[in-house]
Amino acid sequence: MSVEVEPKPVGRKPLQWFDVRGRRVGMWAYVAMRLSAIGLVLYLFLHLVILSQLAVGPSAWDGFVALAKSPAFLALDVILIVGILAHGLNGLRLTLVGLGIGVPRHKTMLWIGLVLTLALALLSALAIFAAEG
Amino acid sequence: MNKPLTRERAGSWSWIFQAFTGALLLILLGLHMVAQHFIVKGGLRTYADVVTYISNPIIFVLEVLFLIVVTWHALLGVRAILFDLGLKPAAERRVTVILTVIGVAAVGYGVWLSATLVARGVS
Amino acid sequence: MLNAMAHKLILRVYRYKPDREPYYDTFPVEVPDTANVLDAIERAWDDHDRTLMFRHACHHASCGSCGLRVNGCEKLPCVTPVADYADGATLTIEPMRNFPLITDIAVDASPLFERMQLVGMPIIREAEPLRADGKTIFPEGVRDFDRFENCIECGLCLSACPSMAADPLYLGPVALAAAERVLATSSDSAKRSRILELIDDEHGLWRCHSAWECTEVCPYQVNPAEAIMRLKRIVAAEKFKRLFHR
Repeated sequence: MSVEVEPKPVGRKPLQWFDVRGRRVGMWAYVAMRLSAIGLVLYLFLHLVILSQLAVGPSAWDGFVALAKSPAFLALDVILIVGILAHGLNGLRLTLVGLGIGVPRHKTMLWIGLVLTLALALLSALAIFAAEG
Repeated sequence: MNKPLTRERAGSWSWIFQAFTGALLLILLGLHMVAQHFIVKGGLRTYADVVTYISNPIIFVLEVLFLIVVTWHALLGVRAILFDLGLKPAAERRVTVILTVIGVAAVGYGVWLSATLVARGVS
Repeated sequence: MLNAMAHKLILRVYRYKPDREPYYDTFPVEVPDTANVLDAIERAWDDHDRTLMFRHACHHASCGSCGLRVNGCEKLPCVTPVADYADGATLTIEPMRNFPLITDIAVDASPLFERMQLVGMPIIREAEPLRADGKTIFPEGVRDFDRFENCIECGLCLSACPSMAADPLYLGPVALAAAERVLATSSDSAKRSRILELIDDEHGLWRCHSAWECTEVCPYQVNPAEAIMRLKRIVAAEKFKRLFHR
């Protein structure tokens, strides 16, 4: 007796790659890389839009500068810097391993990147708020 | 073994460009952050200072270069993320075209804005 | 089983039969604490439901047919001790992802074998660098080797890979690892060209986004992620060479 079985097509979910449940640190780094990427792209275009105030004229720009020095804006700057550092340092790690450099040490590099991110972000935060205070 | 790769696809180049522009950004973004914000009192220049700053030819070139590299890197990244949504080949081509247009427009706008400010400084 | 203690588990098993929506069945089982997860699944089949379908054969990590997900993570249940989970724990047993589902936790493994055939898996044996006397000989230009035969073709890496989930045409970790073996062990230029052409593609090597999940779940030491990183270097170098030596 033979039984014909029709396999169900693969139910791929487009956002399945975002699912970190049961996953390890490499996957977390990958998802963090993408989330920071999306955030930084949005910021890049927001930044370009804000720069249009320069074209409007001195009063428009200087008005924005005054607003941007409020503590809420400065806190957002720190978040931006964390995103840049995390994305940049992890990107450096991925480039190095993609070139065959330090491949067995990729996790060590990840932790070093994370520590550097936090340390440099802390220094930046101190610099930003010290300049204001 | 002279020409082992018989097919030219964007695939490998997009990874190589992404790695290359990423490495450049570590330098250019670092310069941008320090020159534009960290060494500036209060972190942001006034309008008059911005005009003086961007009128320096070296700064002008570096900022435009930074804009080109960061836009390229950003949009290649967006393209990779969008392609991972499982698009059909025709949709993938449309995405590439649209992102290219956005990239060219962003760089064009940046160059126009910088040039406008330089012109205002001269006049 | 003289010193074995009883180990209680609750298996929450994914069920799918072609004419109805998928659901989960809950089976309490009791096995010796020296047992493996596959034993627990067989106990559920034995005690609770003989219509539960799952793939298994050798029971010792050699056939590669029983791969599935335990609590979301890919496992070879025949060598996963129940003692890895607390007594009384609930284990969610689900089929591997990124494969067509046949029924319950049994998947159709053909995507795996199609990919292995693309890289010419049968030729891998030919590259076996061990002589009958056990002395290792390396082909010219080869510094070291990993026995790719370690791969038991279980497909766990394809299930764990986030890029595999995103792109149905992706060549996938195991086939890329096999491709790396061909490049590392074969000096046949036609074969090398064919492999390089196959992997240098948006659906090939470059779809890997370095999440390292393949290596994490591999039950042997195939380490597909490292092989893929070596491939990226090889292909990028070839591209540059070609750019400057036209």
